[in-house]
Amino acid sequence: MTATQKRVIANRIVLTLSTLSAVIALGFLFWILGVLVMKGLSALNWNIFIFEGAPPGYAESGLRHALVGQAILIAMATAIGVPLGILAGTYLSEYGKNSKLAHTIRDISDIMMSAPSIVIGAFVYAVVVMPMGHFSAWAGAIALGIIMIPIILRTTDDMLQLVPGTLREAAFALGAPKYKVIMDVVYRGAKAGILTGILLGIARVGGETAPLLFTSFNDNFFTTNLNDAMPSLTVTMFNYAISPYEDWQQLGWAAAFILSMFILGLNILGRLVLLMSRSK
Amino acid sequence: MASIIDIKEECALQVRDFEFTYKGAEAPSLKKITMPIAKNSITALIGPSGCGKTTLLRSFNRMHDLYPGNVYNGEIEFEGRNILSSKEDLIQLRTQIGMIFQKPTAFPMSIFDNVAYGLRLQGIKNKSELSDRVEKALKDAALWKEVSDRLKNDANGLSGGQQQRLCIARAIAVEPEVLLFDEPTSALDPISTQGIEKLVIELKERVSIIIVTHNMQQAARVSDYTGFMYLGELIELGNTENLFVTPKEKLTQEYITGKFG
Repeated sequence: MTATQKRVIANRIVLTLSTLSAVIALGFLFWILGVLVMKGLSALNWNIFIFEGAPPGYAESGLRHALVGQAILIAMATAIGVPLGILAGTYLSEYGKNSKLAHTIRDISDIMMSAPSIVIGAFVYAVVVMPMGHFSAWAGAIALGIIMIPIILRTTDDMLQLVPGTLREAAFALGAPKYKVIMDVVYRGAKAGILTGILLGIARVGGETAPLLFTSFNDNFFTTNLNDAMPSLTVTMFNYAISPYEDWQQLGWAAAFILSMFILGLNILGRLVLLMSRSK
Repeated sequence: MASIIDIKEECALQVRDFEFTYKGAEAPSLKKITMPIAKNSITALIGPSGCGKTTLLRSFNRMHDLYPGNVYNGEIEFEGRNILSSKEDLIQLRTQIGMIFQKPTAFPMSIFDNVAYGLRLQGIKNKSELSDRVEKALKDAALWKEVSDRLKNDANGLSGGQQQRLCIARAIAVEPEVLLFDEPTSALDPISTQGIEKLVIELKERVSIIIVTHNMQQAARVSDYTGFMYLGELIELGNTENLFVTPKEKLTQEYITGKFG
């Protein structure tokens, strides 16, 4: 066998192995989605959106409480995480730049991003739940908001830095004060990127369970009282899934399906926003 | 030493013993520069890369102040005051001394909003006044015919030459006294370049112009006065024709005949 033949064979082997690995990796993804769609779709029905939680065996049971609770928690978390993240990212990119403080903040933010979410839950338990004396939607939203901050901060920082410096100079050269330059020119130039960051941030916290376990806790009934324990899709799914009751398990599958579609949708939307802004 | 022409006509700016030092640098990047800038004329700055011509240009609207730690010394007189004074109102100064950059810098907004940007900054809110002045600026920048039917479109959809004329329209909309051009055609094709040069010449009726260029032919085509800079010093300032035909300094002659640069 000549050296060339050997190389051709080696090439084929590596190509086959790497293709196979890619197929297996993607296979798991489609397997997960497949099981989810099959089990989830069969468990879906209108009752899920109409009724709240009920003891096992009741026909009139659904996930309305968890869907609304989840929406409230995410909305509150977004209201906390997005302004803080964007303002902090703005500081880093436009004011702090390469200063020591800015670098320290970036490092801490990166560490925060990889912090186990349950630890953040424990922190909120200590500083919010304990002093209040009970679980609350506030505590859950604060925990999710804290998880969101470093994601939004980092994307905002990165996206603002992508705006060319000459664009800022051009605005300054027309006599614009700094805050106008940032609001009129820099934010506009980076708006698609920032929006994508927000969507990905929401998608990230949307699937969190651990930080909610001991902050917003859970509730099997519909509530909009922010001072009380608040049901969420994720914790409800966990409780129903580990229960021994067939109908609760079905609801758990439905919750898993709805949650996955929500997060998948957000991810796709985030990518679309970026793609559309680039093709313009 | 340097050979600086004495300008008889009225001056827009007077630079005296001006020195500029970048943050952390040991030596100044501009050394003892003294030069008059004639009113309603075009003054070109030429010289090899790194000679300080852009640094000098960016001193006229105090652009260097955007980055902390840079030091100005000496005097640049404008309308009877020294604009290097720490009391100078930079926002006001930059509405009087506008700037056009090397690459077109259209803001991510509509064509109309781009031109109206400086006007709105000055507090003009009246819609008919805004649209009148935008139209006038676009006409003066020779862009009106091409964009009048799509003022609401995104400015980034324009070609490079159109974007550069848009930037000129944006700068002249606020009616500055002086316009600074930093190699305004180096990113453009020859036809767009011709358009910009024609425009620059027309504009000098209303504004005093300083233009930095790498292109000696361009300086010869458009300017009334030319300054040759080398290693942070102004070597020679003269009537453009005299400077290119009978330079007084040996360095100038060597540069314009292509011996270095």
